[in-house]
Amino acid sequence: MIDSYRYIGKETPRRDGAEVVTGSAEYVDDIRFTNLLYGEVLRSPHPHARIKQIEKSKAEVLGGVEAILTWENVPDWKFGTPTIFRILDRKVRFVGDAVAIIAARTKDIAREAARLIEVEYEVLPPVFDMEAAMKPGAPQLYEELPGNKLPLYAPVLGPKSLTEIVMGDVEKGFAEADVIAEGTFGYENIPNPLPPEPPSAVALWQEPNKVTVWVSNQQVWLNRKILSEIFGDNVEVRAIGGPCGGSYGSKVMSWQVQCYAAALSKATGKPVKVCFSKEEHLAAFVLRPETRIHARVGMKKDGTVTAISGKWLLGTGYYSMTTQAQLSVGAGEAQIAVRCANWDVKPTIVCTNRNASGIVRGFGGQELKCALIPLLSLAMEKADLDPFEVLKKNYLKPGDGYYWRDGNWYSYRGVDYTKAMEKGAQTFGWKAKWKGWLKPTALNGTKRTGVGVGIHGNADIGEDVSEAYVRLDPEGRAVIYSSVTEHGTGQRSNCIKVVAEVLQLPLEAVSITPSDTLITPVEWGPAGSRGTYAILSAAIAAAEDAKQKLLQFTAPLLGVGMGDLETEDGFIWVKNRPDNRITWKDALELRTVLGHGRFNPDYSFANCMMSFVEVEVDTETGKVTLLRVVNATDVGQIIDPPGIRGQLNGCLGTAGIDSALFEETVLDRATGCVLNANMIDYKWRTFSELPPIDNVIMETPFPSHRFGAVGIGEVATSPGPSAVLMATSNAIGVWLHEYPVTPQRVLEALGKVGSK
Amino acid sequence: MEVKVNEQTRKKSEEDKHISLVINGNQYSLEVGYGSYQVKPSDTLAYTLRETLGLTGTKVSCDDGACGSCTVLMSSKAVPSCMILTVECAGKDITTIEGLGDPKTGTLDPLQQSFVDHTAFQCGFCTPGMIMSAKALLNENPHPTEEEIKEALSGNFCRCISHYQVLEAVLAASEKDGGDND
Amino acid sequence: MRTFTHINAHTVNEACELLGQYRGKARLNAGGTDLLAMLKGDIWPEYPEAVINVKTIPGLDSITENDNVLKIGALALLSDVAKSPTIKEKCGVLAKAALSVGSPLIRNVATIGGNLCQAPRCWYYRYPRRLGGPLPCLRKGTGPCLAVKGDNRYHAILEGKGCFAVCTSDIAVALAALDAKITIAGPKGERSISVVDFFQPLGNTLKIDEMIKDFQIPATMLSMEQRFLKFTLRKPIDFAIVSVAASIGLNNGVCTDARIILGAVAPMPFRAKAAEEKIVGQPISDNVAAEAAEKALANAKPLSMNAYKVEIAKTLVRRAIKGSTAGLGE
Ligand SMILES: Cc1cc2nc3c(=O)[nH]c(=O)nc-3n(C[C@H](O)[C@H](O)[C@H](O)COP(=O)(O)OP(=O)(O)OC[C@H]3O[C@@H](n4cnc5c(N)ncnc54)[C@H](O)[C@@H]3O)c2cc1C
Ligand code: SF4
Ligand code: FES
Ligand code: FES
Repeated sequence: MIDSYRYIGKETPRRDGAEVVTGSAEYVDDIRFTNLLYGEVLRSPHPHARIKQIEKSKAEVLGGVEAILTWENVPDWKFGTPTIFRILDRKVRFVGDAVAIIAARTKDIAREAARLIEVEYEVLPPVFDMEAAMKPGAPQLYEELPGNKLPLYAPVLGPKSLTEIVMGDVEKGFAEADVIAEGTFGYENIPNPLPPEPPSAVALWQEPNKVTVWVSNQQVWLNRKILSEIFGDNVEVRAIGGPCGGSYGSKVMSWQVQCYAAALSKATGKPVKVCFSKEEHLAAFVLRPETRIHARVGMKKDGTVTAISGKWLLGTGYYSMTTQAQLSVGAGEAQIAVRCANWDVKPTIVCTNRNASGIVRGFGGQELKCALIPLLSLAMEKADLDPFEVLKKNYLKPGDGYYWRDGNWYSYRGVDYTKAMEKGAQTFGWKAKWKGWLKPTALNGTKRTGVGVGIHGNADIGEDVSEAYVRLDPEGRAVIYSSVTEHGTGQRSNCIKVVAEVLQLPLEAVSITPSDTLITPVEWGPAGSRGTYAILSAAIAAAEDAKQKLLQFTAPLLGVGMGDLETEDGFIWVKNRPDNRITWKDALELRTVLGHGRFNPDYSFANCMMSFVEVEVDTETGKVTLLRVVNATDVGQIIDPPGIRGQLNGCLGTAGIDSALFEETVLDRATGCVLNANMIDYKWRTFSELPPIDNVIMETPFPSHRFGAVGIGEVATSPGPSAVLMATSNAIGVWLHEYPVTPQRVLEALGKVGSK
Repeated sequence: MEVKVNEQTRKKSEEDKHISLVINGNQYSLEVGYGSYQVKPSDTLAYTLRETLGLTGTKVSCDDGACGSCTVLMSSKAVPSCMILTVECAGKDITTIEGLGDPKTGTLDPLQQSFVDHTAFQCGFCTPGMIMSAKALLNENPHPTEEEIKEALSGNFCRCISHYQVLEAVLAASEKDGGDND
Repeated sequence: MRTFTHINAHTVNEACELLGQYRGKARLNAGGTDLLAMLKGDIWPEYPEAVINVKTIPGLDSITENDNVLKIGALALLSDVAKSPTIKEKCGVLAKAALSVGSPLIRNVATIGGNLCQAPRCWYYRYPRRLGGPLPCLRKGTGPCLAVKGDNRYHAILEGKGCFAVCTSDIAVALAALDAKITIAGPKGERSISVVDFFQPLGNTLKIDEMIKDFQIPATMLSMEQRFLKFTLRKPIDFAIVSVAASIGLNNGVCTDARIILGAVAPMPFRAKAAEEKIVGQPISDNVAAEAAEKALANAKPLSMNAYKVEIAKTLVRRAIKGSTAGLGE
């Protein structure tokens, strides 16, 4: 760790701080437009039906209604994996599926119009269970997807995306095992990441082939790419992104809301805004994928995992955009968490008549891990092993390798996380608290406490491409051109920090352009934990390139080689001769310098997060309370201390740890309705329930970029849920294998209530 | 006779065509009606602030009273503006996030500054509501304990989990405030 | 929200007259924390034509003590009820119940009268129009009840018949434990009814042109030990999964009198008479409390997914009885 940084590792205020605290930060719904129309969606009451007829005449004559689109007159835009999902179809496939979209002068008129549209349906039988959906004779959601199974291949990840975990010889592995555990485990409560700002978009279509979309998510360029694929390359798409009120991954899947706005704008010639209500957000936007595994694991007495085999079912709801990619990444992450020579895990992706699953922090890996760690735990119990020791031993070590999402094998060249894990265990007091499997840590009257540990890591920290430009202005200022929007991680401020560090400028002298694909370069955006390595690498490279060009230009003026020059605070001087200096302005006069930086994917690093939790169970009411969390990781170098703290504290919400405690989407299996599509019945953590969190963050430099840092934010949510399951099981002395650990489940496990 | 009373009532309500209220120290007179600059009987205060008056600092998330994003001060108490009808705000004194600090000089309210200093936000969408709830608390109780802050903010949703930093920011602001007054 | 005619009422009479005029097609608005949710969701079979603001009626929010009766106006804010020194001192169970509602934001606008009249929390009942609702519902008279065979984890374990939505009003539970009377105003004058009798299996006894004017709590109850327990997953925002309010008279550790009311277990606040009988005349002990809890839930008939509520209810009854002697705070 180098202690001589000016900004890196220091607390610096967020660049957008003043706007955030004064309410002047403009989220999509805050931007004012002239002639704006409001879009509304008429949604299906049936989980599965064919639309026989749509009568919209009553709605059409309502004053202020400017367009009503249905499957009959909407552009035939399709997206998803595979590309078969229409924005409006003649079939509806979940309760809440879009039937018609309406543009009107006010929200109220649009809503009233939706009420006046009469739809005649031919109701079809629905299917909600993954296994039932694959059975012969089950209702079929799409002609193109026989058996309701989706292709596993994820074109976005390249020609041979990872579609299974198969290596070594599992039979041999099981033969070597001292203990074998087997069972069915799931993480099926489909929690919602639930950002505070609902999915929203404004679109302005200018005939014949130009569309501008104001988006709410973390990556305008990727967004543009998605829309270009939908509209066709002949349509010029401009995506403009401002602050995003939380995404946690989910808002990358905003193509539908954006297409509604675009189609309505195309039909009316006016800008159209579509903002989902919170109930639509909860019932018709992205959920976590459902996971169920039937699997077997072999383990030696020393904790070596000898074989893992089984079936892995992923439920994607009524459509998929990224579930295949989540499968690939999840499959890669499983190998990172569990070093095992013999694997045979075969996935299946199934669609059912519920709201769609998609991108959520943890991207496939959290889902798999939440089922896999309980299975490993059974083996550890049989072998009487401490889960901390087993997880530590089996986590990826330098030199180990894994098949990553593109199907290629990579060797890990990062740091050894053992020390971070040990420091985490020490901070938590694991040794003293761990009493053995299914043994409580403490008994206190009718209450018992228990501990658990989980682990997760992702090799996405160097995934995909990033680019940035850095422009140097004569007045000693720099401007960063980046397509990154601010969605909470502080990424834009961090770009400013690294560029100011490279150029040795005051922070105030560095600014960043709005993200607008008309101006800013290609950028995959803050997906996964790629912000710190991938995105910052591009910014650093652009700053270095600009600096190099500046010095190259100045060298002849000062009559030295460029290697002899230094720059700081807008001055350039000859090394060791600080008196021989000129300002950038002297050097550049009426000239700017443009540096370009690019990051190309590098899958040879993985991050790591281990979470320890302690829970208290009231054995009389079944209530489980989270008492404490310790997160342990190594990030190479902290860029922004408050930023990383926020990211790691985020382990609780966004369908993270709390998805094991109380978060779930309640899908009524009789009607297909999401019953808790409001923020009273969908449970989230409040100020009154804040457990102490300790974040143990080591800083062992990585050979990543010049600041030696890697990202961690995304995975904060992932190790916790299985740790809660483990802790609760230990507290009550009975295995619990369903999420979340509701009073009902706890009391049933304790035998106090007969299970249904 | 009875019918007459009723008709008078109706007429009187028809006459309630203007709503006078104070927002951030400015007197507003809003017309009730169905035109684009008028307030409909069904408009919530949050809607009026955002859509009619352009005060978009107040955010709407749940629109159901459950998340606190839309918190404003009404007669110095923190209230959910999404659950209040504007037509029922006649004579009220309302403060929104735009009413804190000094918009002319750009000076932030000490509480806002403390949020910046403690990076007490991530995505920032919950922040205006959070600040208004905290402001109401500090107005009434300038030196709250941590427990009192938690209680006062218990109706404010923050999905990013910035709670810990928010607590520090509010505590620090209250301590500073104490220093100034003592 | 769809629009409506909005009328400010200035007297109780005027409000009742207006209600009568609209023949059930008008709704009173007090704090609006429940009414607006119902209107936004467009959940009722008939959208109201008019909304009558009752906050413009002067004097209805007062809290006074007179002739051994504590009188609380229907429009008293929950935050004021929770803070009122008189209420805290004399009917702590009510102050606690008020403090347990929603969040500070809600309590700053929600009223005590509105709390009693809130629509059921049943998630089938409340399923919104925008998501393809409303759903058929026996209580609304629009079809069979879906909760019986559906996800009924929060529904009734006692006295459900046809409709299994529970009464989630925390205030009702506390007021019932205090044996409070409700003053109801109508076109023909006022009537008084006990809180327990106010509720009916499918709603309450209010006629379409009546409203709650105030609540009266008899002084005899004020001196009893009071306890309010509310089981939720989270402290704020959540409605009770089960709640218990108890008033217990004690003399040297022996129970002289008791009222034990359970909330969120039945369509109405449920008075556990059998439990009361069990403890009156007895010294309070673990055994007595446990037996009383068994008695209280003896007739429980849980639905497919809510047997756990029976266990929780028993626990709360036990704790309420024991806690009242120990004088434990929350
Ligand atoms: C986030 C949230 C959390 C909540 N948590 C709880 C909780 O924990 N416990 C709980 O009990 N409730 C809870 N509630 C429900 C409810 O909103 C409150 O209890 C509140 O007290 C209702 O009062 P109000 O004045 O806002 O009612 P309003 O919404 O104004 O009225 C509710 C109903 O009562 C009628 N009404 C109002 N006043 C009268 C009157 N004087 N006479 C006759 N009818 C009348 C109205 O017409 C309407 O139908 C919660 C609500 C929200 C939004
Ligand atoms: S429980 Fe009652 S309110 Fe709920 S669906 Fe059944 S009948 Fe309707
Ligand atoms: S938006 Fe008003 S409380 Fe959530
Ligand atoms: S900072 Fe994102 S919700 Fe609070």
